[in-house]
Amino acid sequence: MSPPVTARPPALPLGRRALLRGTAAAGALGFLSACGGRADAAFDADAEPWRRYAGTTLNFVSENTAPTAAIAADLRPFTELTGIRVTIVTLELSALAQRVALDLASGNGEYDVVYADPYMVLAPYAPAFADLRQFQDDPALPRLPGGFGDFIPTHLDAAGRFGEGADAEKILALPYDSPTMIWQYRADLFTKHRDRMADDLGFDPMPSDDTTWEQYYAIARWFNDKTDDVAYGTGHQAKQHDALMCDFSNVLWAYGGRYFQDDARVGRLGTTDPGGSLLRSPEAEAAAAFYQRLLAVADPGSRTWDWDGVGAGFRAGRFAMCPNWHEFAASNEQVLPGKVGYARLPKGPARSAGMYGGTGIAISEAVPRRRREAAWLFLVWATAPDTQRANLASEVGGGTPTRTSVYEMPEVVAAQERPSAMPNMLSARAVRDAWAEENIGLRPKIPMWNECDTALYTQLSRLVAGDTSPAGAMRAAADRIDRVVARGWVA
Amino acid sequence: MMAPGLLLLAALSILPFAAVVAMSFSRVHLLGGLRLEAVGADNWSRLLDDPDMAWVWARTAGYFAVTVGTEMVLGTVLAVFLWRLRHGRNTALSLLLLPMFVAPVIVGLLGRFLTDSTFGLYAWLLEQAGYSGDVMADKTTAFAAVTLMDVWEWTPLVTLIALAGLTSVPASVLEAASLDGAGTLRTLRHIVLPSIAPVLLVALLIRSMDALRYFDIIWNTTGGGPADATKTASIRLYETAFRFFDFGYAAVTGLLMLAVTTVVARYFVRLLDRNGTPR
Repeated sequence: MSPPVTARPPALPLGRRALLRGTAAAGALGFLSACGGRADAAFDADAEPWRRYAGTTLNFVSENTAPTAAIAADLRPFTELTGIRVTIVTLELSALAQRVALDLASGNGEYDVVYADPYMVLAPYAPAFADLRQFQDDPALPRLPGGFGDFIPTHLDAAGRFGEGADAEKILALPYDSPTMIWQYRADLFTKHRDRMADDLGFDPMPSDDTTWEQYYAIARWFNDKTDDVAYGTGHQAKQHDALMCDFSNVLWAYGGRYFQDDARVGRLGTTDPGGSLLRSPEAEAAAAFYQRLLAVADPGSRTWDWDGVGAGFRAGRFAMCPNWHEFAASNEQVLPGKVGYARLPKGPARSAGMYGGTGIAISEAVPRRRREAAWLFLVWATAPDTQRANLASEVGGGTPTRTSVYEMPEVVAAQERPSAMPNMLSARAVRDAWAEENIGLRPKIPMWNECDTALYTQLSRLVAGDTSPAGAMRAAADRIDRVVARGWVA
Repeated sequence: MMAPGLLLLAALSILPFAAVVAMSFSRVHLLGGLRLEAVGADNWSRLLDDPDMAWVWARTAGYFAVTVGTEMVLGTVLAVFLWRLRHGRNTALSLLLLPMFVAPVIVGLLGRFLTDSTFGLYAWLLEQAGYSGDVMADKTTAFAAVTLMDVWEWTPLVTLIALAGLTSVPASVLEAASLDGAGTLRTLRHIVLPSIAPVLLVALLIRSMDALRYFDIIWNTTGGGPADATKTASIRLYETAFRFFDFGYAAVTGLLMLAVTTVVARYFVRLLDRNGTPR
């Protein structure tokens, strides 16, 4: 007789305790590997300075901008020079800011080189970036051709520095691109109608240093009413978006309005405590009233456009002129060859102002020392005059140089006239005018700018939609900005 | 053997929830590694003096009512039509379900391009029909447009669920009603709809959960504008967390959304219970 069989659960190939131990070990391993940081760069002390880090792979996170497109398309010279490979991740700007913030929070230092937007990345996370002077002063490392002094001074301050006192001396990023808002107009239509417009309007409509925003408004209305060549006179980037703040700021500064008391310094070097908002001032209110009036005669699509939208509308021939970033010159020239002119933005009662939107590239302090040194090689190469000149002629990008010496190169000077192999240079004169100390428009460089920016463009969107008055919009924006500033930077 | 399951549940749900609760009482620092600094109920008290939060929730409620209401009515009507279709039901159903398989972010991008006044097909068609404005520039039309995009995408889900309910209505009951002289509308009202009510409640529950978190389409079309006309709670949550990096206040907004979602879900589950649906 066989022994009775007892009902038992089927045996597992793995015991319960073993399974739990395995799970815990795998979890711990995953946790530790996630927190472990990255390995340092390859290093050969006997190699010549440019080749010491051969075999290293650097990670560069950037906004999807023209200079990065040009660099990504031709990294071979850098890899041949250094033996370093570069992995480039390009993202939309707000996605980039998120990725950088989370990388810094994790402490992993996934990105060696960071496209450090002065307002979304540099100001909020300045302590997370290396002071580049240490690399420039290190005799073992290649130096910047022309030194820091070759960079346009306002660019170096606005895109490369942050803080007060000793912090303001640090150079945290090298100016990498330099988009600036200028007046883009259909030169063919202005020429065609110049005499009629002059007769009707009582002034020469051709853009000049003396043209005012009121005249810009009158020209816009003239195109609306007096010609069928275009449907509207002007188009704007007035979507509820960062672009709306940029578009409005040109008018705000022209009318004498300011964001904060020490606007020039706050814009150029930045601070963590800018004081109370000045948007309640009569000048800001006048600027808002004018902007509301201007948008009332602009292409209605303006309220849905950011800079790309207004650029596409301009190239599609919907309107005769617009304020937009000068980097759009290359695409304008492709679609409307020889038909677009560029000028500094009109002036208001106080001055002319063109929003500067340049950015620098920085080295993360979270990565090991050798990686930082390898990253420095990339910064030197990526911002070198020869690289900037090559980017200008790139078929995929078209750059915006940040060095004085590049603008003095004979082929770059020649490219400022048509036919141009570097179409972005067609706007060079207007851009240089806009960069003059008295004309440059620098938004506040404060860590909490994103929230202030949102508060402002939300109120401006309400203003343009007719939901609020100019005074009401400015007051509400100022109230919110004061609240944000009083709370301080949270992260 | 429950332990691995519980560990997994803790990792996926309980720990993140506890972290969010902790964040809601903290100032969250990112620089130099994640660090929480206790601030008591500061983040919660900000809810009371936030001038925009009440409007955000009012707008969310509006979206919820319009999108879910339209989807339920339209979805049920389409299901009835399909149910009564004698030929080509499968083909019609397949075509009808197509929008549901498109990722919401793609629906948003499609919507943005189709309504763009420079090169959008819908914008051009509207212009030919005499509409001179810009759909996304006006508060009312922008609100209507993003609502319609959601309705376009998710009505098929309601149709599918309702159709499943309709196919299970006993043929003998319908025949009896027909013999008793009940017309189509009367049969629908007194027999069909009561029969599929529990199934419709399930559809309502699923869509309600989604509608309260409505994000992708709005973010990719209007970004919350114009004039905040399309800024819902989820857009506000995203801005607070990933534009302002104010994770403490974002945690408060997120927990509030969770509470509202839970209350709505509980309400519909109770309705299901009252209808006698076994769970």
